[in-house]
Amino acid sequence: MSQLRIAGGIVHDPANGIDGEVRDICMDDGRIVADVPKGATTIDARGMVVMPGGVDMHSHVASGSVNLARRLLPEEHDRDPMRAPALVDGEPPRSGTGGTVPSTFTTGYRYAGLGYTTVFDAAVAPLTARASHAEFDDTPIVDGGFFVLMGNDEYLLRQIDAGERDRAREYAAWLLGAAGGYAIKVVNPGGIERWKQGARDRTDLDTAIGATRVTPRAILETLVDAGNALGLPHAAHIHCNNLGVPGNVATTLDSMRAVGGRRAHFTHLQFHSYAAPDKGGGWRSGARDVIEYVNAHKEISGDVGQVMFGAATTLTADGPVEYMLHKSSGRKWVNVDLELETGCGIVPHTYKEKAAVSALQWVVGLELFLLSADPWRMVLSTDHPNGGSFLSYPELIRLLMDRTYRDEHLKRVNQKWLGGSALADGIAREYTLNEIAIVTRAGPARLLGLRGKGHLGAGADADVTVYVPDADRSRMFATPRYVVKGGTLVVEEGQLRRAPAGRRLHVRPSYDAAVTRDLKRFFDDRSTVSFENYPVGTLRDAPAALDGERGSGR
Amino acid sequence: MTAHVTCLGCGCACDDIEIVTRDGVIGDAKNACELGVRWFGDGRVPARCRVAGRDVSVDAALAAAADLFARATRPLVYLAPDISCEAQREAAGIADALGAALDSVTSATAMPSILAAQERGRASATLGEIRNRADVVVLWCLDPAVAYPRYLSRYAPESAGRTFIRVDIAAADEVATLTVLAAIVSGHAVDKASPTGPAWARARELAPRLLAGRYVAIVADAEAAADDTEPRDPGRASALIALAQALNGPTRAALSLLRAGGNRSGADAVMTSQTGYPMSVDFAHGYPLYRPHDGAAEARLARGDVDALLLIGAAALVPADVLAQMARVPRVVIGPRSSESPLNQGDVVIDTGIAGIHEGGTALRMDDVPLPLRPSVTGPPDAAGVARALGRLVRSRREVSAR
Repeated sequence: MSQLRIAGGIVHDPANGIDGEVRDICMDDGRIVADVPKGATTIDARGMVVMPGGVDMHSHVASGSVNLARRLLPEEHDRDPMRAPALVDGEPPRSGTGGTVPSTFTTGYRYAGLGYTTVFDAAVAPLTARASHAEFDDTPIVDGGFFVLMGNDEYLLRQIDAGERDRAREYAAWLLGAAGGYAIKVVNPGGIERWKQGARDRTDLDTAIGATRVTPRAILETLVDAGNALGLPHAAHIHCNNLGVPGNVATTLDSMRAVGGRRAHFTHLQFHSYAAPDKGGGWRSGARDVIEYVNAHKEISGDVGQVMFGAATTLTADGPVEYMLHKSSGRKWVNVDLELETGCGIVPHTYKEKAAVSALQWVVGLELFLLSADPWRMVLSTDHPNGGSFLSYPELIRLLMDRTYRDEHLKRVNQKWLGGSALADGIAREYTLNEIAIVTRAGPARLLGLRGKGHLGAGADADVTVYVPDADRSRMFATPRYVVKGGTLVVEEGQLRRAPAGRRLHVRPSYDAAVTRDLKRFFDDRSTVSFENYPVGTLRDAPAALDGERGSGR
Repeated sequence: MTAHVTCLGCGCACDDIEIVTRDGVIGDAKNACELGVRWFGDGRVPARCRVAGRDVSVDAALAAAADLFARATRPLVYLAPDISCEAQREAAGIADALGAALDSVTSATAMPSILAAQERGRASATLGEIRNRADVVVLWCLDPAVAYPRYLSRYAPESAGRTFIRVDIAAADEVATLTVLAAIVSGHAVDKASPTGPAWARARELAPRLLAGRYVAIVADAEAAADDTEPRDPGRASALIALAQALNGPTRAALSLLRAGGNRSGADAVMTSQTGYPMSVDFAHGYPLYRPHDGAAEARLARGDVDALLLIGAAALVPADVLAQMARVPRVVIGPRSSESPLNQGDVVIDTGIAGIHEGGTALRMDDVPLPLRPSVTGPPDAAGVARALGRLVRSRREVSAR
């Protein structure tokens, strides 16, 4: 691979304590190096802003449920066709369609065009992991991986019910490797199983799951402990119970306390930070309570799941949420119950400035950002495409960096439930470029345990984005001038020029072989897929290293 | 012996088959149903490669194929059954590079259910959920034993606490009955109006039996039967989805729409992931356009809007109406038993193995659960590899002509 120098740019590399210094960034053979010879290809970046490539730690881009969402949205695709880009060499360019759930190749091109070089799909049912890998194979440029859905899986619930937490941990280790996933994902622990059983009421931390002794609390404890005991690079990634329900801030805080003192990541907290003070159906922001808890507890982290006004597609393993949304909005609805594991629900949605709930959600998300004391632990996401497309990140960055713009926007939205909220009372904070670099790359990379990502120190992956400064931060972040991925110049002069295949990011923890003997019996009894046909097998890229004594298995 | 083999004889994709071979020939397909045994056969397939009826090398055949598409202005790429998702992905890439139309068997056999799911969504489940949870199983105008022989034994076996409701009504009455049923289970006070007629009587009788279930599975065929003397109402799939969705108010329910074999669901999924649409796509403008009605392969062929066809898959499994049209156009046929198929007089004919018998890769069960394919005997070149080579050739010719 060729050598490359990005010369004279204003570098923001917060992981290495560099905040706006003029420096050269040099690359050789796909890695950042201290220097390259004079003759190396040089990009004149004087006056431009240089950051590590973007890292999206929570998106939905490559899964069976994403593909069902794509299929549901021909009208969106009709409005947003994308020609094959004019690539100069390498892989054949492919056309596609966009909308809130773009086709695979278009997803890769558009993420790279936005300066993102790493993307995780946050919810994959292991039963369908093969399809996710195939979709990632067709999603060029970005390095990708996914989180494996647990917490409503029958085998896990049985182990917890039987008090077999060690076996539950070994099962989680096996399952991550079998699926080729990167982290443990918990969605509405126990609540999806309850939905399958016909329950329609709230699932709280101590609600029994069916006729068992299992509770969401026990599920959270088990999986958070498993993630930490296995030395996984990323903590258990938790989507709490009661998403979208007014008053759910209590559930969210209960969940955080339930795993108190332990490393855990709480995702799209915006959707979990609603207060219901008057019991009369009114909603209020609960963001302050949640962010104060996060600020005070260094072992936990979160991402925001900001809502952006406009079209979105809500798509989640949390089936009961989508049933509620379908009932309230009347829009088309997909529900698929996935055997022994999880659910899947999809409803297209539009967040409207003039709608009270949308406006409140928008405010709650911004409050989480603006009241966060530590950008390393509260990072940017829209839970694409749930809160809005990843293409809205530049607009979100503008809202964070430009108070005047934000306050003007705030005046236009429905004020019904905004009274007493921190944002309505006025928040002066404006994110700096360095803080943006933290919440969009350095922070997520650190939370994911990606040592080669999110920074520009020697040895890091040569993933670099170069922006032209612009007072309109939305314009600046929407159109990077240069993007380098793994040392390859993929965006030149704002045009996508190369689209190399990305790498797969996954883990393969070793496990106690005894668990597979038990699992084989379980599969024979309960599964419609042979135990032998379940694992995805060896992946092209090597698994990531694990912390601690436990090594990678077969 | 090869164990845990996935059968693509129908969309059930049973993955518990044991293939016993003797001297490179399949001697037994244990656990397979009659349909599966027929699908596996003895594993012997032709391995010819022909241009204009003459035997040639694969390279020569691919060069001739690329020549044909270099001259074409309205090419069609068609995904026939019995190829892996990997081959389907390659074929879709060829269509994109050629600016071709791209379609699969689905448009001719299951379009109403695809369109209905795009309009309404779905209330569905993977088959194991039905097996483990459904206490009421409705067989809607369907005897699974005919085209899906192991569906019931594998996914809805008789058991204590499971009730089967077999509904068998005339095609003309289906939509009315389903619509009334959906209204009743939604709690609309239809009794007060007291309409009469067979649909109302039937729906009133069925509704309480459905509502008695804690988890209701409605099983219906999404495929058009080849010998369908009584054509289905085009609104049937939509009405089935509406009923399944409505049942999720008072109880839980899933609609299981059955699909035939050969990885048809894989074709829908691959087209969707790469283009955003599950069938009937046109790349003529340089990007995918959805043309589910006038752009389906059958309609295109019928009006003479195809000047070169690339069929990838088992030609013999393409519906007869479509096949008859295909026989009239210049064509490249790549797939299992191409040289013995009704399209064997094509310009270029390349035999490949059958996905799941000679070739590995991935296929999707009718509920979109992906399964690995385990080849049990050796065969001719694999379809994915041939398609990949053709794709490279097609793209390099286009790059040359662009300069």
